Amino acid sequence: MSSPVNNGISGISAGVVGATAAVLGQTAHAQGSDKIKVGMLGCGGRGNGAIQNCLEADPGVEIIALADLFESQVRRTRDSFLKKEQVKDRIKVNDDHLFWGFDCHEKLAKCEADLLLMATTPAFRGRQLMAAIKAGKHVFTEKPVATDVAGCKEVMEVARLAKEKNLAIVAGTQRRHQTSYVETMKRIHDGAIGELVGGQCYWFGGGIWFNGLPENSQMTELEWQVRNWYHFTWLSGDQICEQHIHNIDVMNWCFNGPPAKFTAVGGRGWRSYNQDQIKTAKDVCRKFNNGSEESWEKYNGDIWDHIYAEFEYPNGARCLSFSGHSPGTGRNGEKIVGTKGVSNCSGSITGENAWSFPGKGIDPMVQEHKDLIASIRSGQPLNEGQRVAESTLTAIGARIAACTGRVITWDWLMNTSKQELVPRDVKPGPGLFHPIATGRDEPV
Amino acid sequence: MVRRRNLTRRELLKSSAAAAGSLVLSGAAGPLAFAQGSDTIRVGVVGCGGRGSGAAHDCVNSSQGVKIVALADAFADRQKGLKDEFKVPDDRCFVGIDAYKQLMAQDDVNLVILATPPGFRPIHLAEAVRRGKNVFMEKPVAVCPAGIKMVIEVSEQAAQKGLAIVAGTQRRHQPEYVETMKRIHDGAIGDIVSAQCYWNMGGLWVSERQPGQSDVEWQIRNWLYFTWLSGDHICEQHVHNLDVINWAFKDALPETIHGLGGRQFRTDPKCGHINDHFGVEFIYPNDVRTISMCRQIEGTDGNVSERVVGTKGVTNCSGVIAGENAWRYTGPRGNAYVLEHTDLIKSIRDGKPLNEGKRIAESTLCAIMGRESAYSRQQFKRTWFLSRCTLNLLPPDGLKLSDAKPVPAFAVPGQYQLAGWVPEERGRKRG
Repeated sequence: MSSPVNNGISGISAGVVGATAAVLGQTAHAQGSDKIKVGMLGCGGRGNGAIQNCLEADPGVEIIALADLFESQVRRTRDSFLKKEQVKDRIKVNDDHLFWGFDCHEKLAKCEADLLLMATTPAFRGRQLMAAIKAGKHVFTEKPVATDVAGCKEVMEVARLAKEKNLAIVAGTQRRHQTSYVETMKRIHDGAIGELVGGQCYWFGGGIWFNGLPENSQMTELEWQVRNWYHFTWLSGDQICEQHIHNIDVMNWCFNGPPAKFTAVGGRGWRSYNQDQIKTAKDVCRKFNNGSEESWEKYNGDIWDHIYAEFEYPNGARCLSFSGHSPGTGRNGEKIVGTKGVSNCSGSITGENAWSFPGKGIDPMVQEHKDLIASIRSGQPLNEGQRVAESTLTAIGARIAACTGRVITWDWLMNTSKQELVPRDVKPGPGLFHPIATGRDEPV
Repeated sequence: MVRRRNLTRRELLKSSAAAAGSLVLSGAAGPLAFAQGSDTIRVGVVGCGGRGSGAAHDCVNSSQGVKIVALADAFADRQKGLKDEFKVPDDRCFVGIDAYKQLMAQDDVNLVILATPPGFRPIHLAEAVRRGKNVFMEKPVAVCPAGIKMVIEVSEQAAQKGLAIVAGTQRRHQPEYVETMKRIHDGAIGDIVSAQCYWNMGGLWVSERQPGQSDVEWQIRNWLYFTWLSGDHICEQHVHNLDVINWAFKDALPETIHGLGGRQFRTDPKCGHINDHFGVEFIYPNDVRTISMCRQIEGTDGNVSERVVGTKGVTNCSGVIAGENAWRYTGPRGNAYVLEHTDLIKSIRDGKPLNEGKRIAESTLCAIMGRESAYSRQQFKRTWFLSRCTLNLLPPDGLKLSDAKPVPAFAVPGQYQLAGWVPEERGRKRG
């Protein structure tokens, strides 16, 4: 697994800075480097998808380490990829490179990987990114990158550090790597629709899995929460953060930065009445409480089912963000409105400078890895850390505005808010349950 | 008080002529009406609570020659204030749920103020027009599509009878709004491409249930919190702002509606079953999408305003335009709550009765559509709502104050049934 070429890339990772690194990068490339050693952190559904995307993106990719909270997940992931004819030769994960437990990211950061892929629960992203960058690894990170204000600021710090160390951070907001979006954005930024004066973005869907406890599980409450992470705000950031961030990121892309101000309403609605989910929550409650169902509601999660937010950008444009999960009509997409036209941000402009994207669709989930690896090879690593932290904080800002009933400013988020939902030391044990937001919580 | 010199032959009391069954048009009706007496505007107030009392005062203060001559309310205690103040005789003070009928049977009453809970408005308006009364009616004017259709139909009858209908969406009579709208319509901000409106506020009064009160009595006294009476707060309050946005679009109406909402903070049973927040997207012709947000939660940040964005500028709709044709209103402001009555009475006396019935029905319709979309989380088109939604919350004939009426469950997505929605339609694209 070890080769001079790999060492060359690892050499960059090890923290050589500035121009030197660029030269080294080119050297590595000139040497005909083709191997990129990859470690995966978070072997759930998206983690497995990311491994597949990364393998497809570049023939030089080899998977050398797997890490997850649960041992069963890393073993299952390795087994599953070893069964895939087309990629099994590039799955080179020894037993001593299977890591699990709440400190698995620290063990992973110490291995010889060049690039770490991160697809764990968003709550822990900041500290995991920090460990990776400090250890000199390039990173692909799934979105969102935090669930609270403190987490976003930590990632902004990580992004600065990565820049110093000339390390790549690419985020799983794949629209940024999707040609139809990229080409449209160029035109929007060149003024094709005039001054931006409004916009809308949507992600409203029917619902999401709700994980109970497996048969004969030995999980603690907290481990179960992490397994059922989507339903706890401190772990997922709520749906606006976990899912709608894609669309929010596109709006920020249009405006080349985050909003200045947020006004929002929202609520939990349907999630407290979803009978299938309640059945599972009661089942989990009984297992942790000697058969008692009394406190079942806390096991039913605390996230909301809708947030309707207005983003006011620094130029005064007010845009709609429409997100949630419940029965009803689903929506997904973006629209940006200018003084000279309108665009769907992904291949269509109408108005004075009407245009439509002539190219073929590519798989942006693969393209983001291609762009990442190309940037590493060129010695000019992409660094999307600050940008994805801003988009994550945009989602969180809207959530806070909805949960508090207050108008929230970007300035307040960056300079005043002390919100920190994720404990520094998370261990197996009792769960961490917060009350459901009321709509007029005190801003923290 | 009576300004006889201003009296015209097409004067206001033609309404009584119409009530008497005359079908002659206003010019001919004048002599008869004139012959009956003076040009005094003789007002009957239906609904004597806070808003009815306010409207009665505003009406009297708006013009010379206005008298409050009859009162109707479901409850004597709510009527007492106006009765004492305007010295309305006992035999002109009608109490009970059908008191409005007795009031409207008074031939000398030529203008009625309709200020009961909005759920009753369609039937009260119908009776007023049947009896040939000019009407000032508070907003909103219905709480369901059945009520909206009734108001539109009755408003057409009022026009045929030469009766005036003015609605309590007072921004339409507020000079800074009127002047701004003229400019918007003249193209000062170019084509409209975006708009926002808000009614975000704290809490409102609650009338807690007293021992011995029936369901219906308590709900009527505490009417804000029951959809069949208030239409929910998006209808009861936010209709003001929605009306302004419609106005900016030259009274073109949204084609597609998609709303969210919930009852998140204000969950006390004393607050009935309505939501405490809504966020609705109204999509106007040419795919112009607008933000509508309203909230009633104590202690939250307030914002009651409108904003319209065009290709050439932006306006707050009430006196400021920024952009290529920047402008600021500097004229007199006036009290729009009074001005709406001034305009109404002038229109009656001039024989050119204002009729805002259809327009306020349409703005109320927007609020109702937003509510139903938010309750059900279904996106639908206005054409669907008007032709297929079967929701009918009109008070049943023979409703009695002593009736039992359980409070409906609050709207939970997935449980709330949008009346008339056919499940097979789910797969069809509705824009």
